[in-house]
Amino acid sequence: MIHTPLSTTTVLDEAADVVSMTAAPWAGLLIATVLPYRFLQALFLDQLLEVGSTAAQYGNLLGGTANMIVAAILLALWGRAVYARACRLALARGTAPGREAWRVRPAALACYVLTASTAMLAGYISIFTIFGFVVPVILAGMAIGTFELNERAGVIAPFAIIFRYTKRVAIPFVLVFVFFCATIVALLNLAAAFELGKWLTGAVGGFDAPNWQRLFTAGNRRYLLILVAGALVIVEPFWIAAHVIFVRKAGAEESGDDLRTWFDELRRTA
Amino acid sequence: MSSILQRCAVHAERPAFARCMTCAKTLCQECATQWDGIWHCASCLASRRGAIVQRSPVLSWTAVVTLSLLLLFAGARVMVWTAAVLAGMF
Repeated sequence: MIHTPLSTTTVLDEAADVVSMTAAPWAGLLIATVLPYRFLQALFLDQLLEVGSTAAQYGNLLGGTANMIVAAILLALWGRAVYARACRLALARGTAPGREAWRVRPAALACYVLTASTAMLAGYISIFTIFGFVVPVILAGMAIGTFELNERAGVIAPFAIIFRYTKRVAIPFVLVFVFFCATIVALLNLAAAFELGKWLTGAVGGFDAPNWQRLFTAGNRRYLLILVAGALVIVEPFWIAAHVIFVRKAGAEESGDDLRTWFDELRRTA
Repeated sequence: MSSILQRCAVHAERPAFARCMTCAKTLCQECATQWDGIWHCASCLASRRGAIVQRSPVLSWTAVVTLSLLLLFAGARVMVWTAAVLAGMF
């Protein structure tokens, strides 16, 4: 892997390499742990759209789903932590990580749950502001990128570590925009894949193909919500890898470790 | 700053090979140890190992877990509240 100076493009390039190295089984584990969370979010939105302006009268229904989402997010956070560790090990060694990726330090995971739940709460509060929503998204990205830097459990320390990296906040800000576009592209690709599947099933007997044609259309709200959830799941490994790489590169620049690595690579290629 | 031109902090006659990510000392191949993908000198590695083996203070753990649970609980409530407000707006 080529270690180039810190910039948005190098972070994205290296993220693609790291995701290919950690695809099996770590990206699979991430997707398996994140799917319940994303599908429950889709269910919550579906219920919300169903009840519409009378949502205030359905507090118990929406509250029950919200509680399930909170339970599912704990599983998703653990999956993200394992995947972020796998990314960091792959980045350091240049090869696919082994079983050591499972060994997430409990203190680091506890700090990550704290920072991620803060980002989640801030996200729900700032959702009205649209542009303000970007800040909790950046916080969530930095939380996963820096979580392994927490040596012990603490309330202030995880936020202090995140704050250290705000000097280079332009890159996470651009990453939010890039991944927003990537989610739309993933959504279109997923929709196209469904269309292709639908078209192919038309050629095979035994399936209730006409009914599928009716279900998998843009007019079906649940289908659209599942597509959005699927697109977010597809993009998530790249999002995590990009933030792990950003934190590693920004930290290496501060310590001068990037120059040593660069000279080592030059010497190897000479 | 080039580590090629620098010397090991412990063995002055040897060229620097790596830099300790904790204390930023330059180290030769013998003094540098890679642990968890990061270079460390012997003393920093020993103190780091001690810090990990040492049990985190109960108070810190209690604070982190309690605050996380509170935030998650508040997150669920705020999610419903936001949803109800947004649904009422449209």
